[in-house]
Amino acid sequence: MHEQETKETPLHQWHARHAASMAPFGGYDMPLWYASTKEEHLAVLTRAGLFDTSHMAVVEISGPDARALLQLCFSRNLEQCLQLGQSPLYSGRSVYGVFLSPKGHVVDDAIISQISSNHYLAVVNAGMGAEITAHLRSYATGYNADLADLTDGLGKVDLQGPKAGLILRQLLEDPDKVLAEMPYFSFKGNFPLETDSPSRVRFRDGTPLLLSRSGYTGEFGFELFVPPHRLQAIWESLLEAGREYGLSPCGLAARDSLRTGAVLPLSHQDIGDWPFLNTPWDFALPWANIDHGFSKSFVGGEALSRMEEAPITHPFVGRDPRKVQVDEATRVTAESGEELGSVLTCTTDMGIGWYGDRIFSIASPDKPDDFKPKGLCCGFVRINRPLADKETVLLRDARRSIRVYPTRSIRPDRTARKALSRMLRE
Amino acid sequence: MKEIQELHLPEELKYTQDHEWVRGTETVRIGITDFAQDQLGDIVFVELPEVGTQFEAGDVFSTVESVKAVSEVYTPVSGEVVAVNEPLEENPELVNQDPYGQGWIMDIKTSDSSELEGLMDRSAYMEMLKGEE
Repeated sequence: MHEQETKETPLHQWHARHAASMAPFGGYDMPLWYASTKEEHLAVLTRAGLFDTSHMAVVEISGPDARALLQLCFSRNLEQCLQLGQSPLYSGRSVYGVFLSPKGHVVDDAIISQISSNHYLAVVNAGMGAEITAHLRSYATGYNADLADLTDGLGKVDLQGPKAGLILRQLLEDPDKVLAEMPYFSFKGNFPLETDSPSRVRFRDGTPLLLSRSGYTGEFGFELFVPPHRLQAIWESLLEAGREYGLSPCGLAARDSLRTGAVLPLSHQDIGDWPFLNTPWDFALPWANIDHGFSKSFVGGEALSRMEEAPITHPFVGRDPRKVQVDEATRVTAESGEELGSVLTCTTDMGIGWYGDRIFSIASPDKPDDFKPKGLCCGFVRINRPLADKETVLLRDARRSIRVYPTRSIRPDRTARKALSRMLRE
Repeated sequence: MKEIQELHLPEELKYTQDHEWVRGTETVRIGITDFAQDQLGDIVFVELPEVGTQFEAGDVFSTVESVKAVSEVYTPVSGEVVAVNEPLEENPELVNQDPYGQGWIMDIKTSDSSELEGLMDRSAYMEMLKGEE
């Protein structure tokens, strides 16, 4: 990412008026929290939270060869990415993956949404619109495809948490139609937003939106793309409609702890300029079913398939909320003292805790009556060898050393994939 | 984040450059200021010292961990720890909610009460905070 003047989202003044703690992120001055990160984190697990995500960039890919260009540059095989790799991506569906360099390193991660067979949107990270557009353009010679960097051209908010559907239903025009048959990673609405056709989705006040059943918290919810000049009005309407459900505005600190507990990577921190292999996000590569090779040829694929070894990225969870500061001096060692690698993310999921030998979440339906989450340290390490079954490791910063447990899943009982119909029942 | 005018800074306390407060003269109570808790954000863990530990002025006696950072707490006076606020082990958020009351961290019996003379009063601490802005 290039150093540049810090930008503001259309909600910046609202954040300032509500005394948010602000910090630069991805080139934008963003809210870290309003009153309390912990309350914001718990709101998303038990009620709902609203995030300003207008800093994220969107790249539009269109034209007769748009799909072929994405097949060349994106890590998912668009012909075999739905229904356990059996079905192609079709209009109204989205898929997560990464853009790789020829060396197999991550340029950025993205969610690709198919508007139509020759029209796609890639939602990438803050400040990455120009770079991903240039990356795609460098491979587009001979392809009949148009690329447009829509950075700052769309307003975006994420409504996340079990009550998200109930809140949204109050504000949408024709909500029963819009909120029917909307599986995880599908979307509705027109693009460009103002296009008037029967497939449009609008708020009752007439504001058009693209509504995507996705998010970055591991919890049930939606990403809403709206015209930037309407963003503040929509944000305020959502907060008003959400009041009776306990909706809370949420900052980036809660977003970071929620996504870590859901084992979702932060681009340029957990995935980045190193080989995209041996990660918890292996599903984002186009593995063939039979011979363990790739099912398509794509940028970065050849380097990865030839690679004999690469570091291993592993999620971990701690015993209590104590964490280590992540910097270059922070190390991961085995119990024997053997040097293993480095820490990528270390944060505290405030909604979970140990009870005996099991982790419960504040949202676990079967949590014990006297369970009170104190929070657990969690994150990702990058290490140079596989770990033995139940092998613990030590994270060490300048101040302390903490013992953590390698795991596959951190926060239990997440709601992201629950059926929409279930989440609309009061 | 609070504006400096919004901070609660009791008149009767002494303050340090590292944002601790001190109450008393011989056995003194120490905690972190409203400014410190506000800067740290939600506190999720407080490591307490053991009763009986001897500290020199300038020693770290506790770490306070928030969602944002881990922060050391220094004792401005030398002496022996005579009490610690054990409820913080279960309810670390008391430091946010009531930094000068239920959010205190330790009581220390000073071995050299002249060390207290170098501490700031409320107005000097306010001036220092304004200078940090």
